[in-house]
Amino acid sequence: MSEVVAIPSCAHKARALLEDPNADLSELGRIIEHDPGLTANLLKIVNASFFSGHRPMRTAHEAIVRLGTTQVLQFVISTGVAPSFVQKIEGYDLAPNMHLQHSVTVAMAAQELGTVLGLDVPDYTFTAGLLSGIGKQILGAYVQVDVHPILELAITEGLSFDQAEDSVLGINHAELGGLLLESWKLPVEIVNVVRYHLRPDEFEGESLALDLVHIGNVLAKMIGVGLGVDGLNYTPSRKVAARLKLTPELIDTVSANVVTSLGGVRDLFINCTEDSCTL
Amino acid sequence: MNTHIVNISDMKFSNHAEDIIVTYSLGSCLGVTAYDPKIGIGAMVHCLLPSADSARDKARDNPFMFVNTGVAMMVRRLMDKGAVKSRLILKAAGGANMRGDTLFNTGLRNFEALEKLLGRNNVSLAAVDVGGTIPRTMFLHLNTGRVVVRSLGKEKEL
Repeated sequence: MSEVVAIPSCAHKARALLEDPNADLSELGRIIEHDPGLTANLLKIVNASFFSGHRPMRTAHEAIVRLGTTQVLQFVISTGVAPSFVQKIEGYDLAPNMHLQHSVTVAMAAQELGTVLGLDVPDYTFTAGLLSGIGKQILGAYVQVDVHPILELAITEGLSFDQAEDSVLGINHAELGGLLLESWKLPVEIVNVVRYHLRPDEFEGESLALDLVHIGNVLAKMIGVGLGVDGLNYTPSRKVAARLKLTPELIDTVSANVVTSLGGVRDLFINCTEDSCTL
Repeated sequence: MNTHIVNISDMKFSNHAEDIIVTYSLGSCLGVTAYDPKIGIGAMVHCLLPSADSARDKARDNPFMFVNTGVAMMVRRLMDKGAVKSRLILKAAGGANMRGDTLFNTGLRNFEALEKLLGRNNVSLAAVDVGGTIPRTMFLHLNTGRVVVRSLGKEKEL
């Protein structure tokens, strides 16, 4: 599984920017920070032993600052992402740009929720939210899972989608995503958020980022951006809702803010549907 | 033929018979269509939230974000273009909810807001496909006013 590096991404656009001597590096950073594939691969490389010696890097921004040079970024992107593998996530009926949009919405919702609540949001919350659905890509693109028996079981037995995944596949996509990122030696805080983001009550310990990403994922599914066949078939944690003192009014405010903010990154999504980034 | 895509918190209308209006990925959001068969004009709105109570500034910027302001504004736009309120055929889809949850029931609250608005105006819905935990895509065909809902790979006419 550690060989799996081809996460759908806007690698082509990023590479084109790198090849332009007049490129705006802040724009490159913006692309990477909103792309699960590029962020995962960047963190994988920067946390590998080759660059070790400091504390683990937890955000794309930190990693970009650490690496610094265009040449190193070019190495990261060209070795970390293979656009030819980029494809629709068949099993989950998710077009790649849909998954990108959903991932960004989870990340933005988690961050915005913390801001509206007036909390000191951990710096890796956005990254963890962005990567939270990465297990779906492994199951969909590489195992080519047949989602129908999972869906049928969820409907007939009244299970949440991840419970049905457990029954049919023996593992759910959150746990698989956690295992993948663990094998990539990403920081344990991020691994834990990804692994437990659907079932935060099973996490032994306290993690504000986990609580925020759990609710961020719920909000993203309700908002509906990039929904797959699994739809809204997940159960929000009452304990997390109580811990964060959530109310319908607060949820509405965060959802409205997120949809407004999505307008500011729509260009990234459009870039990913262009011919240059055939997914 | 033109396909008009309605984004979240957005509304599109057309009076061209060959056009289709569509909105994708309805989760808790509510999609509402209105069609006047006499003059062949129709519209679709995709509302995120029931009412602007929690974000009044946003209702000023974009009334289509909310059911109570968005649906009313859509009907008003159609009437400005010659539609007659009593002839309008209204249909709704979406309003899904998270599994086993009562706090996050935005889908239910969206539909309740629509019922309240329509009840106050003595207007009834011709067809609905709301609730559950499934995602939905909604189409309005301007040539006939036909509304189709696609979910989990299956289509059905409303």
